[in-house]
Amino acid sequence: MNTTRQRRLKKFRVFYLMFLPVAAYFIIFTYYPFLKGLIMSFQENRLLGVRPFCGLENYRFVIKEPNFLASVKNSLIIGLWDMGLYFGFSLVLALILNEVANRMVKQSIQTIAYLPYLFSWAVIGGVWALIFDLQGLANKFLSLFSVEPIFFLATPSLARPLIIAMGVWRSMGYFALLFTVAIMTIDQQLFEAARIDGAGRFTQITHIIIPSLTGTMKTIVVLLSIGVLTHFDEIYVMVNPANRRMIGTLLLYVYETGILNFKTGTASAGATLVMIGTVAITGLIRKFTGYDEE
Amino acid sequence: MAKQLVKRDRLPLPVRIINTALLIFVVVLMGLPMLNVLAVSFSTQAKSDTPGLVLWPSPATVQGYTFIWNHVRFAVPFFNTIYVSIVGTVLHVLMASLAGYVLSQPQLPGRKTLTTFILLTMTIPYELTMIGIYAVNRDLHLTNTYAGLIINGMISGFSVLLMRNYFMGIPRSLAESARIDGAGEIRIFRSISLRLSISALMTIGTLELIRRWNNITMTVTLISDMKKWTLPVVLRYILFDQTTTSGTSYIFANAKMAAVVLTAVPLVVLYFFTQSFFSTGIMIGSIKE
Repeated sequence: MNTTRQRRLKKFRVFYLMFLPVAAYFIIFTYYPFLKGLIMSFQENRLLGVRPFCGLENYRFVIKEPNFLASVKNSLIIGLWDMGLYFGFSLVLALILNEVANRMVKQSIQTIAYLPYLFSWAVIGGVWALIFDLQGLANKFLSLFSVEPIFFLATPSLARPLIIAMGVWRSMGYFALLFTVAIMTIDQQLFEAARIDGAGRFTQITHIIIPSLTGTMKTIVVLLSIGVLTHFDEIYVMVNPANRRMIGTLLLYVYETGILNFKTGTASAGATLVMIGTVAITGLIRKFTGYDEE
Repeated sequence: MAKQLVKRDRLPLPVRIINTALLIFVVVLMGLPMLNVLAVSFSTQAKSDTPGLVLWPSPATVQGYTFIWNHVRFAVPFFNTIYVSIVGTVLHVLMASLAGYVLSQPQLPGRKTLTTFILLTMTIPYELTMIGIYAVNRDLHLTNTYAGLIINGMISGFSVLLMRNYFMGIPRSLAESARIDGAGEIRIFRSISLRLSISALMTIGTLELIRRWNNITMTVTLISDMKKWTLPVVLRYILFDQTTTSGTSYIFANAKMAAVVLTAVPLVVLYFFTQSFFSTGIMIGSIKE
């Protein structure tokens, strides 16, 4: 028994050796930092040397910190709006795009809509800076209705709508593509049968296309729910003293507190709370959509 | 094939008109800003300072490009980002195929445990372990180095599982007959499995290259030295921060938009060359785990 086991292990030794670098990477750069962050959330703010444990002190501090509480609110508002609008806009785009009979036209529109998703948030930030400049396209358009020029990027009340719109502009085409791929896999015989029953195109859309997208819808909603509290890149790009109060999200708080100001304990406690929040939100969404049933 | 046989019904005319109007709106909404950026980047300094509805530069000039490339030294982060992205992507593809290959061996003892080990890493989002990652990298002296940028993200659970699934689709008999012919496992991996998986390797390679080229979070976590920043972080600085630093001359809108175009164009080129792999990547991305 023992010898066959040994022979088997010897036979597979080369595979374990191949796996070794991968395992080492994940242990050092994924599992260990995760644990380290968790431990640091129970330790005093100190980057160097020994960090004494301080129990739940960091958590007690952070849940009373006005900046943290403001970022919770900003994260929820921006995250939930983004989630809803990414979903709604991309679904509508996929449905109206599907009605285009000409393949070339359809493909071209799809490519134009998808293109911004390839770009870094900094590139999108550049587009926004130009369009919403004091003399930019948006103000030129508004001047047609004799509206005074607005300094969009420095107006606090417009900060959230602008950052949400930025996300929709970048991601709509990508999520629409996911829906389009799903629409393409629908069995064509269903449409044939519907036509024999006398159903028009509109009924076909509401009774065949939309119901067969349920699975994709669930997947996309769950996918989006993971990101609700983790908006960072676009905020990092667009944040300025005028709009910080409105768009400073949780991860910006964690980044600035922990990495720029070295308050590692406070930041880790914040990050841990974000993690718990994310688990809660995804859990709720999964339950609500019945994602795990089937 | 079935698609061509079935004639499609069309929507009633009024709905079709609304549909077309919406699509034109989408094209304008997406296309106009991009065209605007492109046109301003080729405009003269004076013209570009009042951007408005510039959709065609007249007169056209590359002033903005030469200014940003030479005067602002945009070339430095540009080539550094190419270096970091390409080296990182090659390593990523290599590591993912190694791990994926191991996990695709049906008789491997402990295969389930190893798969769970990989799956669990996908549930830990990078953004939330930022502080831990920073601390670990600082202890290993990887902060403010390109090695740090290359090593972090050198592999991902997503890529490993994608490769595993692809390898599992390759007929076992190929490896078996090679084994009978006396080929070693490494040899089988190299000359059979990898050679038959070019499209999967291209898929994860392309996705990783884009991810690395665009990455902001990792750069700002690990790199505080401005001289070592990657392209998107430098671009953000040029766009929004340069007014707050003394010493640098004013960067006009044409040069700023030239920087935007230079950051975006490599990806557009990559996209058109690898379009066929994209659809695979997107398809895989939408499959329920």
